[in-house]
Amino acid sequence: MLDEEKYMDSDALVDQVLKQAPAYSLPADFATMVAVNVGRRFAWQQYIREFLIYLAAIIGIVVLSVGMALIWYDNDLKYWLDFLISNLDWIAGINLLVVFVLFTDRVLLRYFLYRSALKGRDK
Amino acid sequence: MEDGELVKQVLSGNNNAFRFLVSKYQRLVLHVVGRIIRQQDEMEDTCQEVFIKVFRRLKNFRGDSKLSTWIATIAYNTAITAVRKKNRRGELSYNETPALVELEKNNETEHKVLEHNEIRKYLLQLIESMPVNYRTVITLYHLEEFSYKEIVEITGMPEGTVKSYLNRARAMLKGKIEKLARLEQNNIFEDHVG
Repeated sequence: MLDEEKYMDSDALVDQVLKQAPAYSLPADFATMVAVNVGRRFAWQQYIREFLIYLAAIIGIVVLSVGMALIWYDNDLKYWLDFLISNLDWIAGINLLVVFVLFTDRVLLRYFLYRSALKGRDK
Repeated sequence: MEDGELVKQVLSGNNNAFRFLVSKYQRLVLHVVGRIIRQQDEMEDTCQEVFIKVFRRLKNFRGDSKLSTWIATIAYNTAITAVRKKNRRGELSYNETPALVELEKNNETEHKVLEHNEIRKYLLQLIESMPVNYRTVITLYHLEEFSYKEIVEITGMPEGTVKSYLNRARAMLKGKIEKLARLEQNNIFEDHVG
């Protein structure tokens, strides 16, 4: 006997099929995984941004102090330039050290602490 | 939690709120991305990329549209870009835009009489083998229940095109069912004569 019902309401069948979710899947912990990845990525960017703000603030303060010393206290510019040039190695070294300490403190340490906190939470 | 409140919480740095947002919209993103990409490993990476973009751009979300529409737009654009990139590199293992006419031709499955579940499976396969624009529009309209206006916003296609894709896809699927029904009738008639 012809199974008429099988094809009776083609509209209803098409509707059912169109509304049926495809069989794709994501891992059960997808949301946690994404949140952790995003958190890690943006923590790094945030720390770098803060480090740059600190650096800019320090440079700004130094520039301002030098400007004030030269304008208000009438310091000799030539004397200071000669001093800078003759001690360039030392000054560059000290500056690099300060920048490195600041970078380690504001970025590297914070990032590694953040990562170890994440690992500790996972255990 | 309301979407507006959720956005505020995420923007204030609440990681749990972001996790909630991901779990709330991962089904939508998976369906949009999945219907375009269709390869499991690629799909997962692209879904992750979508949520990273959502997080990065959330501060630009002004609430002019629904959050779901905004996320679906990002998912659609990200998936399309991924497919285009792969196409350019020649890594794509399937034809992105097979002609719908090809699908409308008879094929082997139609020569067999199919059970109800098999018909459903067959129709689902047909949907999967439709051109990418049809699959996307079908998913957004029927599965995620977006309006025409929202689909236009998500895909950037004109409303007429969206309607035409939906009608053609529906007509094609209906035509297949009716063809199968006719075929079954003929088979039974032949059995009686035989």
